[in-house]
Amino acid sequence: MSDQDAARGGSAGPRGAYAIERSRIDDWVSTVLALGEVIAPMAGHGGDVLYAPVETPDQVLWEFDNSLHPPKEVLLPQTDPLFEIRGERSGWQVAAVRPREPRILLNARSCDASGIRFLRGVHEEDLRDSAYLRRDADLTVVSLSCPQPCSQGFCICCDAGPFLDDGFDVQLTDLGEVLLAEVGSAKGEALVRTSDGLFRPASEQELSRRRMLEAVAIDSFGESTCHFGSAMRRISTGRVVEALWDTMSDWCFECGACTLVCPTCYCFSIKDRQSGGGWQRCRMWDSCQYGAFTLEASGHNPRPHRKDRVKRRFYHKVSAQYYLRDGTVGCVGCGRCVTVCLGTTDMPAVVTAIRKGVWNG
Amino acid sequence: MDDLYLPRLARIAEVRDETPDTRTFVLQLRDGSVADTLPFVPGQFLELSVFGCGEAPFCIASSPTRPQALEVTVRRTGQLTDALHTLGPGDEIGLRGPCGNGFDVAAARGKDVVFVAGGIGLPPLRGLIWNVLDERESFGRVTVLYGARTPSDLVYKNELADWGRRDDLELLVTVDRAEPGWEGNVGMVPILFDMTELQPASSLVYVCGPPIMIRFVVQDLLMRGFGEDAVISTLERMMQCGVGKCNHCAIGHRYICRDGPVFSYRQIREMVE
Repeated sequence: MSDQDAARGGSAGPRGAYAIERSRIDDWVSTVLALGEVIAPMAGHGGDVLYAPVETPDQVLWEFDNSLHPPKEVLLPQTDPLFEIRGERSGWQVAAVRPREPRILLNARSCDASGIRFLRGVHEEDLRDSAYLRRDADLTVVSLSCPQPCSQGFCICCDAGPFLDDGFDVQLTDLGEVLLAEVGSAKGEALVRTSDGLFRPASEQELSRRRMLEAVAIDSFGESTCHFGSAMRRISTGRVVEALWDTMSDWCFECGACTLVCPTCYCFSIKDRQSGGGWQRCRMWDSCQYGAFTLEASGHNPRPHRKDRVKRRFYHKVSAQYYLRDGTVGCVGCGRCVTVCLGTTDMPAVVTAIRKGVWNG
Repeated sequence: MDDLYLPRLARIAEVRDETPDTRTFVLQLRDGSVADTLPFVPGQFLELSVFGCGEAPFCIASSPTRPQALEVTVRRTGQLTDALHTLGPGDEIGLRGPCGNGFDVAAARGKDVVFVAGGIGLPPLRGLIWNVLDERESFGRVTVLYGARTPSDLVYKNELADWGRRDDLELLVTVDRAEPGWEGNVGMVPILFDMTELQPASSLVYVCGPPIMIRFVVQDLLMRGFGEDAVISTLERMMQCGVGKCNHCAIGHRYICRDGPVFSYRQIREMVE
């Protein structure tokens, strides 16, 4: 069992289920606010939903359309200082700068909690990125299930929603007068336990209602699904005709937005940035959709065309080779790429085109 | 290592000019010996930091059989290499590694070994050449075929002269364009194949150079009867992290920095871009 599993309580699946009266939710959020920084969905300027630190319980949204930016920034800031550099050419000091602090991500949607689980796998796989994993271990993820799935989501196809079986510390489900809290880890247990008297064990009727809500939610997807299977077979065996990639990439504007809003995208570059009297070495978001991503100092570029880059993105997300490595497709079905793509080079459109061999972009 | 991206510090002990745009840097670790704290195999690479500028990957151009020398040979081609070239003895840089898989030295023991290098492609092979020469009795015939654009572009000129005088190593050098005073071969690297006796059945061939040179050399070798597993190259890609995370150097599901940079031609042929 890895440290992370241990931190999360080890076993897969809920450890216990509790219930809290809706009228007491703000009291609970107050106790959580005392434990560490709470990042939750709130109304930003102009009414956009965004995940940001909250200071009072009334700032937290409980009914909302998911944010355009996933809360992955909590663990992977766009610019992430790794360490401080001081000194001059004949002598340097280099010191890590990642403070440890307990933080709570409250009301992450199922897809986004799944995105965080995916990123954990990436940082655990092969060489462990201990600094990232410490930050992840310090974060308690409270997810909020989706009894009414959003119109563009297809989490059902990715095992990433609308309700989760694991991958959360606490999963909340809105049952009306009561919220159900399923505990998925020791960290989650602690969050519910510290709130003496607010939670009581959930009743069998409440658990039954939760199961019914999940079944109804699953039914509501209807045809709005993304059939990865045959697309995966074709991508993995190189049986997507080049002409199809050509046509599909004609609709890509190379803006990179699909990668920036994707909960599972994590491509990055490492750069030095001036800071005070020295520098910070930073990990910064990058995108495989940008032409310079593979540009070598010599001027040679092994992926010179837009088509090469679109192909690369979907190979990484949908191929069986990566599926075997990551244990899942590189997609949580949040539908954000559908929202942001200026063309139609989004996950469901591309997967459908590959499956049918025809592009209807 | 606790933090994947935290570099160690190393002092530049010596700088040698190789060509008008290429220098070799001899490095000394600040916090321990190479033998004890940086065990590596030929073909692995280092991520070098020029602080304030950034970091980039460079092949180790020396061999673990000579742990007192940790060398990299760098051509000026961009911001970071420009900055590195402004540094001299006594200056400090950062270093992470060793990264990547390196050459399988054990697999070459008992075999004839042929090195085919073009231009700045010799430094990544030089560590393995040193290793072979330092354990010379473990290997069969040793052949080094080296080409550069002009005589000025040949790296390690003194060392080439030493190798040329050895009777347990065959060295053939060519240049694309001669300069006044050059009396050697003129032509692309494959012309050297006809000047030596290649033994496809008993040899491993190590190829490194610009992509176009690798392509022609490999085609030629395959036609001469070398197997796809007997032709080994070390690949380059745009790299950032060097530890298989950032995705810049991915080809298919392989990472040049982690699964490579050393691959057989068969592995290279099976990669899907």
